[in-house]
Amino acid sequence: MIALSLLQLLVIAALAPLVQGAMKLLRARLQGRPGPSALQPYRDLAKLWRKESILPAGVSPIAVAAPGIALGVALPLAAALPLAAPGMPPLGEIIALIFLLALSRFVLGLAAVDSRSAFASMAASTEQTIAALVEPTLLLALLGAAALGQGTQLSALRYLPFGLAGLLAVGAFFLVLLAETARVPIDNQETHYELTMIHEGLALEFSGWQLAFIQVASHVRQLSFLLLAGLLLPGGTVWAVAAWAVAIAVVVTVVETLFAKLRLFEIPQLLASAFVLAAASIALRLFGTTL
Amino acid sequence: MRFFGVGATWAVSLLAAYLAFLAVVQGPVTLASFAAVPPAFTLDLGLTPLAAPFLALLAMLGVAIGAWCLRCERPVDAALIAGFVATMLLVLVARSVLAFVLAWELMSLVSAFLVGANHRRRDVRRATFVYLVVAQSGALCILVALLLLASHAAGPGFSDIASSAAAIPAGTRTAAFVLALIGFGSKAGLLPLHFWLPRAHPLAPPAASALLSGAMLKVALYGLCVVAFELAAPAPAAWGIALVVLGTVSAIGGVLYALVDHDLKRLLAYHSVENVGIITIGIGVALLARSSGALALAALALIAALFHAINHGLFKALLFMGAGVVAKTQGTVDLEKLGGLWERLAWTAPLFLVGCAAIVALPPLNGFASEWLTFQSLVGGFVLPDAGTRIVLLGATAGLALTGGLAAACFVKVFGVAFLGRARQPKKSHAVQPEQERFDAATFAQALLAVFCALFGLIPALAVVPLARIAATTIGGPAFTGVASIPPASLSVLPIALVALPLAGALACFALAAHRRLRSVPTWTCGSPVTPAAQYTATAFSKPLRMIFAFVLQPEHRRLVESGSSPWFPARIVYRIETRDVVDEGARWFGALALRVARRSRALQSGSLRLYLAYAVAALVVVVTLARR
Repeated sequence: MIALSLLQLLVIAALAPLVQGAMKLLRARLQGRPGPSALQPYRDLAKLWRKESILPAGVSPIAVAAPGIALGVALPLAAALPLAAPGMPPLGEIIALIFLLALSRFVLGLAAVDSRSAFASMAASTEQTIAALVEPTLLLALLGAAALGQGTQLSALRYLPFGLAGLLAVGAFFLVLLAETARVPIDNQETHYELTMIHEGLALEFSGWQLAFIQVASHVRQLSFLLLAGLLLPGGTVWAVAAWAVAIAVVVTVVETLFAKLRLFEIPQLLASAFVLAAASIALRLFGTTL
Repeated sequence: MRFFGVGATWAVSLLAAYLAFLAVVQGPVTLASFAAVPPAFTLDLGLTPLAAPFLALLAMLGVAIGAWCLRCERPVDAALIAGFVATMLLVLVARSVLAFVLAWELMSLVSAFLVGANHRRRDVRRATFVYLVVAQSGALCILVALLLLASHAAGPGFSDIASSAAAIPAGTRTAAFVLALIGFGSKAGLLPLHFWLPRAHPLAPPAASALLSGAMLKVALYGLCVVAFELAAPAPAAWGIALVVLGTVSAIGGVLYALVDHDLKRLLAYHSVENVGIITIGIGVALLARSSGALALAALALIAALFHAINHGLFKALLFMGAGVVAKTQGTVDLEKLGGLWERLAWTAPLFLVGCAAIVALPPLNGFASEWLTFQSLVGGFVLPDAGTRIVLLGATAGLALTGGLAAACFVKVFGVAFLGRARQPKKSHAVQPEQERFDAATFAQALLAVFCALFGLIPALAVVPLARIAATTIGGPAFTGVASIPPASLSVLPIALVALPLAGALACFALAAHRRLRSVPTWTCGSPVTPAAQYTATAFSKPLRMIFAFVLQPEHRRLVESGSSPWFPARIVYRIETRDVVDEGARWFGALALRVARRSRALQSGSLRLYLAYAVAALVVVVTLARR
């Protein structure tokens, strides 16, 4: 079972940059640009891996280790998804995984403040703010099975009856996904303007192989979240989950093309509505038999 | 004086450790009983399993704080600390009404001396006064609550009260519980009676702050547990709901005020309010589950609450000690003036980081273990039969998740701004401290607590297995078999599985940095010279959350621009921001009212001896008529 989980981890890690490249290509095509090849992220990563890393003078060891910790947090998430195997029992626990995600944000945030750059620190501040608002929604969106008394393992989500509650949960999780994968309208991966960078801003002072670590971590996390969204949708087989993940990736790209980035202080309203969706979904599951 | 105090602290700690062991292994034990002629004055000392985790916490903190006191500034503090630890021990072993109230008052008194240690400062005297007023009002509530319960029982011993608790009328029990909640809740710092805490805790010497936040708040929660689980049992569901709601409000409120505070010690005190809230949620879920017969869930929730009580004691003491080192070496705990302490405090900085990671519940530290258990108990409560209960638990789950996110933001701010980056103020020329921090008693004390934090995080079974026994006897249910299909003895798989890969990633980065090119260059700030003043400040860091939660915090900005020749080139900009603590204002209003009433009632104090005799006679008549009835 552990072998299957490791195999799944390798497949997800290998495909994650491709998904990023494909989404970028699709976005470019939707905007009428030829766009870079879908394989471009692999080339970028190979080049970054070969380069030296440059850090601001006098930083603490936290800044040296932070990219490795970020990658080390993304990988268990990919391994824990209940797809190839029924999920690794200790790792596939939803609440523990959410705590684990906080570890990566905490370390990257510290590294950003440590870099003495006001831009990076501002990004750390914004990232922590959004994360604090997203966390309750993320938790509630994934607790559908727990509301029925089926425990807090990710594997319990796979064969959950869908219905209206499931739809609401998917809606909430979609907004969470936009925030967690740094997409418009919450963040913008393509921006070159430091003041609006959130996720990119955290990595502002990283370069070379350290940046490669952070990028792989973001790609793996993105694919894992897409697959998680697929898990919340009806189906349940591996292929159904994968197909849903592709569909959601397309929707994310279309949303990115249609909408502009929200102002920072409008994001809480969006996240609050996501929270309402998630809470309504759980409430439906809790009282589904009586309503 | 100093060595006497340290020795006494260690001796009391060893005694506490022994008693904790005894309480877990043997169950209820009677240590001593002093019968008195009116039986109401009987003094009983004894042990219950419920006191064991608190005794264990006291022992661990006592050892570390004793070591710290080897280097503390005033020798008399060491003796006071020893007395403080001893009185807390007394509260934990008191098993009759009078013994408990006496020990409780002694504890309040000794701690008031510690809060007022720097009594030459006006704000310290003021905070000590407020603390004493709150402590005495709380003690009065506790006394009345215990007497209400004892008046229906065969005797004043806690075991007498507990054995006849079920026969006490429900109205009396509820009144006693509400009074106990006010008394213990105000001591523990539950919202809205927390207002004294962020003023009093930071003013005490570091060792005393560590004990106040680390241990005394837990002793108050112990009192609440004794009343709820033993003396006034069985608790109806409404008490559990009240505790869950109060706990959630305290958790969110505490962390919000911590987020906007930039005095390191006061910020830590606000985080105590937050963590007491989290523990109270656990206690509340345990009461709720027990009232609806879900004994396994009640045990889980109680384990989570007791475990978090221990853990919060450990990491909060560690953080307060770190803040003490910062105050001593830097002369300030204002986050806006600190920076770059990582280089100056080679020992304290990494140990403080361990404390920060523990308090924001990052795996694999102890805060994660107990907060995870708390979440599990909340989520387990989703299947409880009552609809209102489920809604409350759903809200508490979301609130706790929000609290976690806000706490993470707060400690990125604290550690990033104070310990990382570059120093914001130039090094003092008259600094007496050596350039590099050495390993001494103070750092040993912090290291010891950090080791405890890591140990309980990596091997939660160390605490959870004995706590499971305690919970089983307290709740009266079957043995606890595990959570999320993990038996308690093998809970270690969770933190280890979670952090194996991040740890490997960190090691890989260090290896790569050593073997491959890693170059240091000045930070790129768009070509302008890199100055410490250009770094992000704590005010700036917390601004987005301050704006989003403006409806609670009500921030007030004031900006002062001093410009010279041209308005476009200001010479100096002063930016000041203040947040209003609504509860604080309420407390101030109530305080003013109380003072006004007191001034009016001064007329009673005429100074005439005959009038005083008349008062005494009138009081006697009232008491006798009441007693005869």
